[in-house]
Amino acid sequence: MTLQSFGHWLESTALSQGLQSTHGAIADIQIVHILALATLFALALNLSLRIAGRGLTAEPVPSLAGRFVPAIWSCLAVLLISGTLLIVAEPGRAIFNKVFYTKMVLVLLAVSFTLWLSAVARRQEGKPTRLRTTAAVLYMLIWMSVIVAGRFIAYMV
Amino acid sequence: MISESLQWLQGTSLAVAVSEQWFPYIESVHVITMALVAGTLFIVDTRLMGITSKGVTFSYLSERLLPWTWWAFGGSVITGTLMFMGNATGYYDNTCFRWKMSLMLLAGLNMACFQRVTFRGVAAWDSARPPLAARLAGILSIVLWSGVIGFGRWIGFTT
Repeated sequence: MTLQSFGHWLESTALSQGLQSTHGAIADIQIVHILALATLFALALNLSLRIAGRGLTAEPVPSLAGRFVPAIWSCLAVLLISGTLLIVAEPGRAIFNKVFYTKMVLVLLAVSFTLWLSAVARRQEGKPTRLRTTAAVLYMLIWMSVIVAGRFIAYMV
Repeated sequence: MISESLQWLQGTSLAVAVSEQWFPYIESVHVITMALVAGTLFIVDTRLMGITSKGVTFSYLSERLLPWTWWAFGGSVITGTLMFMGNATGYYDNTCFRWKMSLMLLAGLNMACFQRVTFRGVAAWDSARPPLAARLAGILSIVLWSGVIGFGRWIGFTT
């Protein structure tokens, strides 16, 4: 099956047809996607700041990570579901788009960093190390790149 | 008068540069700053509603988070203004744009009311479950800012 025929098949499914013919469905799913992204981004920022020894410093790193990391995963789940629906609704906008694949690689990187940083944060005691601080900064830069790539999908069709 | 000012605004060389070259980049920065505004507010608002971060005081959480909200809001206003300039007459006539601005105004009023009235007595509930007025302010803030984002996204589909 070529990418082209996969796209045509996906576009012809009942779910895709339903989303395409429902007025406002795509915009509303995008809104859910953006709200989850905003929440995730702020949680990631506070986790990163805390790992770097800043921000919500009244609380030990493991305790903050214990609350914020599950919330990050919940946001990621909402992003994954809403994102998948957006691809199903408009396959051509994503699967032939280089920026979309760039975004997916960045998302995988962000997920790997989430796994790593959450493991690190759960047992972090004492002062932050240079490596962890660098990783925390990188983590935020990756999320920002994901956001920019996501916005640019719309301009690279 | 308004229409002429908007015409003039979108004819300026800055506005033309925005609409012809810089729009996707400015919009990307707008999304990042907007995400920070809404995301940090959601963390503070859910604490205000008494459902998250119960182990820390409200004043501590808002003290640490709201500076980020304000800086990001500044960035959103600058990038938003630039985007507006690029198509001033179009946005001015757009119903979703007007809803977005109105909801943002209401969100500001909600915040001002909370700061001037409910927050004055924060000492009594700082580490406990906030009173009804505070919880309502938290819910209202989440609803209004979600509306701002929602109508903001709809602007793109209606201009």
